Amino acid sequence: MKIPIELIRIVVALVAVMAWVGLNALLLVYCERKYAGHIQRRPGPFEVGPHGIIQPLIDGLKLMAKQLLMPDGADAILFWLAPILSMIPVLLLFLCIPYSPLLTGWEVNLGLLLILAFAGLNVLALLLAGWGSNNKWGLLGAARAVSQSVAYEIPLLLAVLAIAFQTGTLNLTEIVNGQGSWPWQWNIIVQPLAFLIYFTSILGETNRAPFDLPEAESELTAGFHTEYSSMGFGLFFMAEYANMVVVCSVATVLFLGGWKGPFFDGWWWFLAKTYVLLFVMIWLRWTYPRVRFDQLLNINWKWLLPLAVANLLGTAFLMKVFA
Amino acid sequence: MTRYPNMEQVTGDFYTQNFEKGAREGSLILNMGPQHPSTHGVLRIILELDGEYILRCDPVLGYLHRMHEKMGESKTYRGFIPNMGRVDYGCPLPWNWAFVGAVEKLAGIEVPERAEYIRVITTEMNRITSHLLWWGAYILDLGAFTPIMYAFDEREWLLDLLQTPTGSRLTYSSFRVGGVGHDIDDKFIEGLKAFIPYFRSRLPMYKDLVTDNIILRKRVEDIGPMPLDMCRRYGATGPVIRGSGLAYDIRRAEPYGIYDRFDFEIPTQDTCCCMGRYKVRLAEFEQSLRILEQAVDQIPDGPIIMDKAPKPSWKPPKGEVYFAVEGARGKTSVYLVSDGTKSPYRVKLRAPGFSNLSLFAEAAQGTLLADAVAILGSLDLIIPEIDR
Amino acid sequence: MMDKLFAGVRIRCLEKADYDKTGQKWSVFLAPNTLLKAVARLNDDGWFLEDVCAVDSVEGFLVLYHFDHWQKSGRLSLKVLVPHDDPRVPSISGMYQGALWHERETHDFHGIVFEGHPNLIPLLLPAEADFHPLVKDAKSRLPLKDLMVLGEVVSCEESIQALFPEEAEEAAAEQGGEEAEAEAES
Repeated sequence: MKIPIELIRIVVALVAVMAWVGLNALLLVYCERKYAGHIQRRPGPFEVGPHGIIQPLIDGLKLMAKQLLMPDGADAILFWLAPILSMIPVLLLFLCIPYSPLLTGWEVNLGLLLILAFAGLNVLALLLAGWGSNNKWGLLGAARAVSQSVAYEIPLLLAVLAIAFQTGTLNLTEIVNGQGSWPWQWNIIVQPLAFLIYFTSILGETNRAPFDLPEAESELTAGFHTEYSSMGFGLFFMAEYANMVVVCSVATVLFLGGWKGPFFDGWWWFLAKTYVLLFVMIWLRWTYPRVRFDQLLNINWKWLLPLAVANLLGTAFLMKVFA
Repeated sequence: MTRYPNMEQVTGDFYTQNFEKGAREGSLILNMGPQHPSTHGVLRIILELDGEYILRCDPVLGYLHRMHEKMGESKTYRGFIPNMGRVDYGCPLPWNWAFVGAVEKLAGIEVPERAEYIRVITTEMNRITSHLLWWGAYILDLGAFTPIMYAFDEREWLLDLLQTPTGSRLTYSSFRVGGVGHDIDDKFIEGLKAFIPYFRSRLPMYKDLVTDNIILRKRVEDIGPMPLDMCRRYGATGPVIRGSGLAYDIRRAEPYGIYDRFDFEIPTQDTCCCMGRYKVRLAEFEQSLRILEQAVDQIPDGPIIMDKAPKPSWKPPKGEVYFAVEGARGKTSVYLVSDGTKSPYRVKLRAPGFSNLSLFAEAAQGTLLADAVAILGSLDLIIPEIDR
Repeated sequence: MMDKLFAGVRIRCLEKADYDKTGQKWSVFLAPNTLLKAVARLNDDGWFLEDVCAVDSVEGFLVLYHFDHWQKSGRLSLKVLVPHDDPRVPSISGMYQGALWHERETHDFHGIVFEGHPNLIPLLLPAEADFHPLVKDAKSRLPLKDLMVLGEVVSCEESIQALFPEEAEEAAAEQGGEEAEAEAES
């Protein structure tokens, strides 16, 4: 029997992605805590390892060692399905991200579509978590998560669509190839509005402050994951960070020239750009207060959506005129 | 229904059941607290929600009730002062003052000059630390994590200074009948003189970073209107009423101690909303600094406690007395009935937070859950003071 | 000023208290049935409620309502004496909603029933508490004359005057609580 080479590649990539997601989560948690520490004029984690570098690892171990609890009256199947469901699609998303021409897990023609489709699954997990845990806070959090994700997906899609219009492809590698090495050759110069809309939407999509309403601590205690302990919470946590990496990676591909840089093209450029975007997200979180829910939806429906539509129509019009 | 092994938890306790009687069909009864991040301790609020709109709410108190008033009936006058440090951990010195002030009024005791100045200095410093704590916690309620760290940086400086004249960092009980317990030294004065300009230079940063932030402004402006008439019906005082446009401050309305010697303003805002209360407290930083500056300049030498200060076995004359001071949260007062023995016959503590919080149920009606959190925070609650 | 304010309300005793000694400017004894009328007057005149509390004495519970005014400086306390065996006072929470909690608290501590209170359930004590912590036993209760003095009496019914035998005479001589003080020093 002959195993298709493509399958081997995907399996290897999947394993690599899993390791990468875990590593990324550790790294991001550390970065976030350090950034936050410095923003708040304190050193951040400092005790475990030099400059607290293995603190996230120890935290992860602690999470794993904790007891898995399920509240009375919770729907066991949905309750345990939710964290898994939030983690799995994220792994798939990583598969088709082109880190460099060689370092692409699975080059698909419809890579962009695949990412957008699977990213939408996350909201289902949040809904199940909130509904299944038989907790009113969780329910409120889930309701918020759904209406927020559904709302913010639309401008996000429209912003991405403008790039697809412009480049004429949904293949991520080709989108990168369509951009030059220098910053002024990147899509962000042509599509600044789309980038802004995209960036704002991903804040809403990944439930990051100032749009972290589904888990708004001071209002809903912890929102949809109120009842989760141990790795149930750990999976949500990892999925959230993995999601952040994915959306920032996609932003890098679409707007910032992917692996291309002025010199020495390669995955290091990709990572650097992604982490700059992640840094901005973290920076926002530790600086701004949280918006209110109606304001959040107003920003989306009254500003982002019309702007995104206008941007899309403008792009289409210009493409028609100059093509 | 038999699925739940612990039915009692599901149907709610006495207070929830009592609250549920008036519930509308199809609404959601939600129990917020006593363990909730934004109820500042152990306040519990039962909410009736329609979506995220609050139809009705009812605070449930008593989770931190220690019956200070009963303790007062068995302790000596001097022995009750430490209780005053524990009524309100955020701002205990006005409580100290309210109690010793009441006893002094009852017995007609004159306090030495220097002690009066030390009282003013420590109390105003305490007011600043209390407002800093509130400021940080309030912004935390609104979802921004960083400002509380900045606030605590300043607060820490003041707490370090306050250690000398009070001997503690949190539950101050340094006032004595007829004076204060510890003197202040030159090092303290120097530290305070260095703090005042430093803190002043930080205030513009607070304004730029937080007060002028568009998200914060949208969250607190026009939220939780408390018109004056409503404040009067509920007996609200302190920054709550000054945020509704009335310059009512006990330091002016009923001057006590030596507050009539200082030149300061009573900041007011007539917007009646959370932003009004917020701005009043921020403006009070500056006024407290002004008082501190004048007090530090004027402080005379002399004794810090009266001659033959009351011993534990001291007995005041018979009578009743009511004494009010301006705490960080409003009118802080003590009503005392003495039967001429070593311990009071009846002590009544009037907590400003108690009256301020009773306003919440009406103010929060019809608002969103997030707004209710903003309103709750703007009242500046310290639960031990409310529960006593 | 107080005569005008309370014109038409049956007051059991109106006295001008010594502000420097008691922190109160006026003190008014009322019967439970005239309380609401008096409070309505205060409400119209713009007073606000500071607190409601009670003092346990031999003669009964003395329920105290402390009022203050934003513009006029000076505290006014309404005093209602109710018997131990049937402590009932009308609730003033209809006019002053701030009294809702104060009355619940007083109900907790002394067992005084505020008639007309919409929700007289325990506030600070646990729901199942069956005791009133501030009610004193018969031995440690003291008569009112040992607890407070009448200031400058404007008008007074005999029944109230009888509660303060010595002080009432002294009030006429305008010596207030000096004797009490002398007593305490000795």
